[in-house]
Amino acid sequence: MNWSVHLPALVIAVPLLGAFAAPVAGLGGKPLRNLWLVTVSALTAILSIILWRYVQVEGIMVYVLGGESWALTLPSGLSWPIRIILEVDAFSAFMAVVGSIAALAGAFFSLRFMERFSGLDKFVSLYFLLTAGMLGMELTGDLFNFFVFLEIASVASFGLVAYWRDRPEAIEAGFKYMVVSTVAAMLILIAVGFFYGRYNAVNMAAVARMMRFGYAEKIALVFLVASLAMKCGTVPMHMWTPDAYTEAPAGVTCLLVAVSQASLYGLFRVCFSLYGTSLGSSVVPWTIIVMGVLSMFIGVTMAVIQKEIKRLMAYHSVSQIGYILLGLGVGLLALNDPQAMAEYGFTAMKGGIFHLINYTMYKGLLFLTAGALYYAAGTRNLNELGGLARVMPHTTFMFVIAAAAIAGLPPFNGFVSKLLIYESTFAVYPILAVAALVTSVLTLASFVKVFQTAFLGPEKSVFQHVKEVPATMLVGMSILTIVIIGLTLFPTWSLAHLVEPAAKALVDQAGYITAVMGGGL
Amino acid sequence: MWSTVYTGFGYWDVYTWLIFFAIAAALVLWLRSLGRKDYKKGTDQDEIFYGSNVVPDDGSEIQVPASSAYWGFTEALKGYYEILVELHSGDAREYVGYMVLTASVLAVLVLL
Repeated sequence: MNWSVHLPALVIAVPLLGAFAAPVAGLGGKPLRNLWLVTVSALTAILSIILWRYVQVEGIMVYVLGGESWALTLPSGLSWPIRIILEVDAFSAFMAVVGSIAALAGAFFSLRFMERFSGLDKFVSLYFLLTAGMLGMELTGDLFNFFVFLEIASVASFGLVAYWRDRPEAIEAGFKYMVVSTVAAMLILIAVGFFYGRYNAVNMAAVARMMRFGYAEKIALVFLVASLAMKCGTVPMHMWTPDAYTEAPAGVTCLLVAVSQASLYGLFRVCFSLYGTSLGSSVVPWTIIVMGVLSMFIGVTMAVIQKEIKRLMAYHSVSQIGYILLGLGVGLLALNDPQAMAEYGFTAMKGGIFHLINYTMYKGLLFLTAGALYYAAGTRNLNELGGLARVMPHTTFMFVIAAAAIAGLPPFNGFVSKLLIYESTFAVYPILAVAALVTSVLTLASFVKVFQTAFLGPEKSVFQHVKEVPATMLVGMSILTIVIIGLTLFPTWSLAHLVEPAAKALVDQAGYITAVMGGGL
Repeated sequence: MWSTVYTGFGYWDVYTWLIFFAIAAALVLWLRSLGRKDYKKGTDQDEIFYGSNVVPDDGSEIQVPASSAYWGFTEALKGYYEILVELHSGDAREYVGYMVLTASVLAVLVLL
């Protein structure tokens, strides 16, 4: 049998094994622990890329866990699936690639950055649990399983955000994130309960097939949208983001950015694949669009006034999530209208999905450069930093690339995805495109501030001892820089092979259902 | 082509931009090469211009701090920022409150 059919399970199993075996690897001391961290992360990334390639060629993959056959979604005599099924379409595979690349970069960066901490076996375990939770959320086709993986990712991230145990701010940030995440998780569990009560099923494809948009489904939709929007840091539920992203170690923040995208993935999987055309009215699409615009504007205006570099970048995360919500929200708005979908909806979705990978790469890189600055200079306060471009040329170079990309400066990848969003949203309401443009200008302004205050200016005597960060940290940053440059130089390839298949998979609700339920029932 | 992205409303070509950028960079370098090369390194001619004052040895004395950047912008939007900063109180109860509020508003909109 071809081993590739087991890829969906392997992509989750490898980081899970990495997590549980981390204490054993830790017995071999620092070299073996570091080797374990990098090897498992690299293997996960390679498997994700192979999975993505396999789905490109073979189409949607399903994998039945614990069944007599991995491909038998409906055993004879049953009309709906009873086992846990992983379902991987082009959108899921795309998300797995994005997430695992961010995890690999964060792993390399953490090798030296985390040396100042104790209990690193636990760090490696939590890091892999977070990775496994994220990938599980992206690959599962089961609603309850999605909740379980969300909880795995959440619990791991509480520990990682509060990992800096001697900093009260880190403990506080971890606690706040735990409180708000737990409320969201309960809402998701109640929503899953609604589906189980109504349809006797928790498989997404099965529920989507039977979906009737009644009161229970409406309440479940509200709970899912509100919870997942909070988990990806949408205004007005974004308050945890600056706290958690700022206090987590830089490599973890890079991974947290990708994990927030898994929640965004969940939000759109629910809207497009679970509800799809049964959403009916335009209330939910417009809610997502309005939350997107608010996130863009409020996030960026809060970022402009920050003087703590990671906090500034965290507010930009809120702002960038707004672009993705705007693009995919416009796509959702056009879902029931083929003409609108052809005219602007699909372009908006391509823009949103392209922005998703762009955002994960350049925002991850920005957080790593912020971590590098802290590692070298010992402060994250922009009022104290200055003149570091002379002594940290490689970090400066990579910061400039990431900052130009996030600000949407041509020719960088951020410009291309924003262009798609500007032009398509203009067709809906010009004010949406204007809001996106103003946000982009303010993004540029705030990163000019960071560049001027941290990297430019005369040398400061307190930073005479500062030198470039170690090679492994540069490797972590370089991985993301190379991806950004690749997406910049080959936008057509990126759109044709990465983005368009993902967008098509997202709008193809029938294909998603048929892969599990078959053509009958 | 590998470089051209059609948006449905126009197009973007990265290589055209890079060629333009290369031409502009060549022009800038050519202009720079026309400058005088006979300045004396290590003398006052090499110093940055600091409003005709003596340049302090430590850069931290002359740098504009980040908190002073965009002062005019934040001053013009003072009312907006007062509300916005107040909303970001850091109180975990309010974090949960905003989520409950959002879910409630969405519930009203969806159920009606």
